[in-house]
Amino acid sequence: MNRNNLLSVFRFIFLLFLQAFLLNNINLFGFINPNLYLLFFIVYRFDSNPSLLIFLGFFMGLLLDLLTQGSGAHTISALTIAFIRPIIIRTSFGINYDIPMGMIEGTQLNQRIIYLLFMISIHHLLLYIIIYLSLDSFLIILKNTLFTSFFTFVMVYISLGLFKRHND
Amino acid sequence: MQQLINALLKYKNSLFYIGLLLLSLIFLNQRSFYHQSFFSNISLTVSSRMSLFSQGIVNYFSLKKINQQLRLENEKLKAFELAYQHNKNNKSAIFESFGFKITSARIIKNSYNKTRNFIIINKGEADGIKTDTGVISSDGIVGVINQTTENFSSILSLLHRDLKINASFKKNGAYGSLSWEGNHPKKMKLDDVSTLNPVSIGDTIVTGGMSNYFPYGIPLGAVSKIERPKFEGYYDIDIDLFSNLTQKEFVYVIKNRNIDQIKKLNNDESQ
Repeated sequence: MNRNNLLSVFRFIFLLFLQAFLLNNINLFGFINPNLYLLFFIVYRFDSNPSLLIFLGFFMGLLLDLLTQGSGAHTISALTIAFIRPIIIRTSFGINYDIPMGMIEGTQLNQRIIYLLFMISIHHLLLYIIIYLSLDSFLIILKNTLFTSFFTFVMVYISLGLFKRHND
Repeated sequence: MQQLINALLKYKNSLFYIGLLLLSLIFLNQRSFYHQSFFSNISLTVSSRMSLFSQGIVNYFSLKKINQQLRLENEKLKAFELAYQHNKNNKSAIFESFGFKITSARIIKNSYNKTRNFIIINKGEADGIKTDTGVISSDGIVGVINQTTENFSSILSLLHRDLKINASFKKNGAYGSLSWEGNHPKKMKLDDVSTLNPVSIGDTIVTGGMSNYFPYGIPLGAVSKIERPKFEGYYDIDIDLFSNLTQKEFVYVIKNRNIDQIKKLNNDESQ
């Protein structure tokens, strides 16, 4: 358990800095910046303390916004995704929601993919809604959500593969 | 008590989330100008609708008084109309040279006890009202419009510390800038009047024609106190306003038809 906590702290800092200084400057096709820091919320153990995750979500978003001169959209969306994660886990894994590392092993592949898609697309939709905050830019919000979610999904999926090998 | 604590423990995650969400909304509001104006627009819409409702109830009880005021104003206007009919010959000349369009509106929220006061009126973009337009009442000026929604506008009141109005003396045209210091709603300060001009207590102050918002010659107030500092070239003048901004009901928004031309000239000059 102690080792797990240490790993979580390390992961938090690593993902935060990776996101703030590298991934936010990619600008693929001019507007795509994959949000890999979501990995932290995705691989957080299902049986750990949910209140702590809500606080960590707030803290992660806040630090990210401060480091990248963001407006505060990351704070709200990371906080919200941390809050609704139990609901997403329950809808996507159904009866298997109590397997602690269910997002990596021990569950069906399609359930895992549905979980990832839910986490990523809800987070991105919220993020872009807050950034644009106007009905006129509805299409831009959808476009950004779709493309950025796709790239984030690819990166998160590859990174999860790394996790699996590491745990063996 | 036990039940209350149990309920709190049961919903602790949700409560925690809502608390942090509020914090992050404040953070958002602080950091981004766009989001700030979005929120202030929402709050203007909500507060103006609420005030419209409550003001409607309050107004019902003062209908008699309002009627009387309107009758008085009508009489005044009738007198003007008659006088105008009398000089009908130069009719077209007067109207065409007068470059302001007038829209009447009702105040639905007014404050005068803060240092920065705002007024909300029940006319908005749908009635052709734009920001940076002057607002007057039957006996003086009220302020300048600073924000509009579709059906409402908010006015930077004359009783707002940061608003400065160009004003001049009726008798000799010496001008200065009129501002409010935040104390009494009828006392204002006139700065930047050069000591070259003779000034005495009781002189009338009118709007100077140099502001983009107001035409020349609307009476504002009278001089109540004069001080002449030893080493400066400017007077310290206190003004008593004619109009009482704490009990206004109806105002007139006056839009300068030529403001685009004036702004263009100003821009050309500054380049």
